Amino acid sequence: MFAKLAFRNMKRSAKDYLVYILTMTIITALIYAFGSLIFQNELEDLFDLEPVMNAMLILATVFIVIIVAWLINYMVRFMLEKRSSEFGIYLLLGMKKKTVSRLYIRENLLLGSFSFCCGIILGILLQQVLVSVMYSMVRLEYHLHIMFHYKTFLMTALCYFGCYLLALIRCRHKFRKMNIHALMEARRRNEKIIEKHEKGKRILLPLSMIFILLFWSVFGRLGDTMEVIIFLVGLVLTIYLFYTGMSAWIICYIRQKGNAVYKGQNLFLLRQFASKIKTMQFTMGTLTSLFALALLGASIAFMFSEYENTILEEKFPFDVLVYSADTDDDFSEEKAVINAETASAEYYPYHIYTDKNNQVNTWLLTHLEAWGTMYRTADGKPDMAEIEEMLLNEGCYYPYDTYMGLSDYNHLRQMLGYGKKEITSGEYFLQIKPRLYNEVTDAPEDLQIADASGNTFLSCAGIIPDYFSQDGHNGADYVVVVPDEVLERMSPYYSELAVDLKGARPVNLQNKLMELAPENDDMELDMDYINNPDLCCGSDAIITFGSVYLARESLIPEVKYMLGSIIIPMFYIGLVFVCVAVTVLSVQQLSDSAKYRFRYDVLAKLGLERNQIRCMILKQLAAYYLCPALFAMVISGKMILYVSKQFVTATGVPAFAGTFFLKSIALFFGIYLVYFIVTYVGFKRNVEEKRR
Amino acid sequence: MAQTGNNYIRVCNVEKYYGNESNVTKAVDNVSFHVDKGEFIGVMGASGSGKTTLLNMMATIDRVTAGHIYYENTDITELSENALSEFRRKNLGFVFQDYNLLDTLTIEENIILAQTLQGGRKKEINERCSSILRLLGIEDIREKFPYQVSGGQKQRCACARALVSNPKLLLADEPTGALDSKAAQTLLETFTRLNRELGATILMVTHDAFSASYCKRILFLKDGKIFHELIRGEKKRNIFLQEILDVLSLTGGEMSDVC
Repeated sequence: MFAKLAFRNMKRSAKDYLVYILTMTIITALIYAFGSLIFQNELEDLFDLEPVMNAMLILATVFIVIIVAWLINYMVRFMLEKRSSEFGIYLLLGMKKKTVSRLYIRENLLLGSFSFCCGIILGILLQQVLVSVMYSMVRLEYHLHIMFHYKTFLMTALCYFGCYLLALIRCRHKFRKMNIHALMEARRRNEKIIEKHEKGKRILLPLSMIFILLFWSVFGRLGDTMEVIIFLVGLVLTIYLFYTGMSAWIICYIRQKGNAVYKGQNLFLLRQFASKIKTMQFTMGTLTSLFALALLGASIAFMFSEYENTILEEKFPFDVLVYSADTDDDFSEEKAVINAETASAEYYPYHIYTDKNNQVNTWLLTHLEAWGTMYRTADGKPDMAEIEEMLLNEGCYYPYDTYMGLSDYNHLRQMLGYGKKEITSGEYFLQIKPRLYNEVTDAPEDLQIADASGNTFLSCAGIIPDYFSQDGHNGADYVVVVPDEVLERMSPYYSELAVDLKGARPVNLQNKLMELAPENDDMELDMDYINNPDLCCGSDAIITFGSVYLARESLIPEVKYMLGSIIIPMFYIGLVFVCVAVTVLSVQQLSDSAKYRFRYDVLAKLGLERNQIRCMILKQLAAYYLCPALFAMVISGKMILYVSKQFVTATGVPAFAGTFFLKSIALFFGIYLVYFIVTYVGFKRNVEEKRR
Repeated sequence: MAQTGNNYIRVCNVEKYYGNESNVTKAVDNVSFHVDKGEFIGVMGASGSGKTTLLNMMATIDRVTAGHIYYENTDITELSENALSEFRRKNLGFVFQDYNLLDTLTIEENIILAQTLQGGRKKEINERCSSILRLLGIEDIREKFPYQVSGGQKQRCACARALVSNPKLLLADEPTGALDSKAAQTLLETFTRLNRELGATILMVTHDAFSASYCKRILFLKDGKIFHELIRGEKKRNIFLQEILDVLSLTGGEMSDVC
């Protein structure tokens, strides 16, 4: 009997909370699909990397489970509140409290199991899509083969039902404490509008705004941990108190009878909005935080994705490049490995030279955005003491300037398919990373590079911003290209071997070359040898790849996979957070539509036309939906723009810093719009049902 | 029915059927009557007699199956849905048993909203609102929310909202149904005063003889038809009440909850 009642109630709830069920299905599918990468990630074995993606995915799953637990808990309590009078009637009819509580738990578990089963089926499909996307990202072919991962299934079930059980245990506790009267009254409790000290609370709105402005102005300059913690606490408080201030401000505006109150339906809309955000201020604050985090996560994912699609393809222009600190190295070992792995190859060994000076280093350290004013004195001159200390200890730039002969340079250009460059005996070129070109478009005039005779200085013939593997190989950030005869006055700094492979390019060449590194005490490859500390990567930050061996065909998929370790979990978090937030908004509105039906019915009796009522519903929903989203955009906007700017500067991705923010907004507003339309249609139908 | 007076509102051969071809229920069956300007008319009948259906059709919130309803020269049965909304907004006021106040608005704001929906200047709206609040004796609760006031006060607020835009007709559907006897009496006295002092035309549907005794004229409905009419004239209210009870006794005591 009770099983039948529970099943019937579940069917009714499924109709009322369709959006929630859909979201839980989607979340289950996402947890399953992304979770499968934790347990069965064949790519991780392929690249023989540290389990970075696993760690990131586990971390993301932890965050997601916390939020899903919150959603389930919120929904279970919400449904209990909405149906409390019904439970009160069960008790009144003589049912035991335990029986009613079990009935509710059973209903919820049925509802949860239904979403879970649908989610797993969707998840199995989604997992295949996800894996094929990852394979194509790392340039591997993947053949779809639907399969069931039992470990992933267990993890998903554990996370999902764990959250459910926690929420239901809390509910059971609540049931135990409630009496019939409390249950009957529970629904009505929130309907009372209590307006106390609104004038005082109004101050919270300008205070929140001031804090946000303050946050915007000092965000980039936050230095020590204490400052960051203080600002984060302030930000969380601001997010929550903003809604208290906003509702108080609207209430005071209505009470003071502002002019807008007397225009059309404004009074009704303003009151609806104020009372809703007043009763929901904590939820609205949480939703704002979720949106802000989702936007932040997606923006970061878009940044790395942009890097992967643009810079990475050009990052390793040579098929193979090998660094050696030994200027007499003939690279025979490397050549032997390459010969064994490939059909044929063209080898070009050359030297990078130095004049034991650091005037180009100094010029860059005082002109690049990455360094700002760090290496300038108060009067704007180079701070030589700081610069020398930096060059010796930081490992960004070689301690001395790096030079290359024109013939070597042109040969390497030819290997890359670039055109030849010419200079006279009295000139030099500055070959730099493309990302720095906008920062140093004016040729340096004060560099004093002596010509072959040593009597006069070379003049700058221009700056060439081509991709030239300048992360420590062909200089760090730059190399000065001089006529060959000038090199006679310099000494070789280190050796390089550039290789142009003919025919098929083996994907495991990087690993084969790395095996040349000596073993350390633990009988493992000496990573210090591979990531040679003498190799200086330049001013690139966020994504750097310093290795004595650079094999293009191995590295691009490997780096792509590593970037995927950030991109995939970030999108994962973003998607789930947005889905959770919009579900709460939708369910709130749809389940309130019965109450609104009465209100709109009254307005119809007061003479409002159907179109006017539809327009009001649209306005009401839009305000309710947009409020947390816009506030989240204001809060996260500054952070994202700042981080994007840093990212663009540090990595050189050819994008405007705001692009990533705009893309995230477009992505989430797509999801937002779908939920909004579903809610609007459902809401309108519920409101108009009775009137028809 | 007698066709006297100024025929402010005319209900002509109105019929309302529910159901489908195989099972038709006649809720209102060929009803005709008129309402004069400034009249306080009551419609009485047992549950299911069709009185609320009749009121809903006059209130433009339900459509007639056949017949016509004229407000002066306007036949509301011919109006489109949007035109009906406008007509309702400009010409009708409603008072219902369950008050129909908006719970998110204060008492005063409920009255202001009824005016802002019609447009109007802030100053005029405030003045009209204050005077109607004063007239109905609910000035001191103007800033309270509906849940904070008594049923009688809520109903007076509903009256104020209905009357604030000077409607042609005030429609009241069991307005005392949810009130205690004291509050019901106060409300009915308010109706009488509004009718006498402001000249408001009121049509009240009720099954309560005590409430009906405040009307100037009463139409009795049974099975969707008008079967009797009582006119108070110069009679005292208690005598009129006795007459109403006499008529009700003819119906076989179906309206047994008369006081």
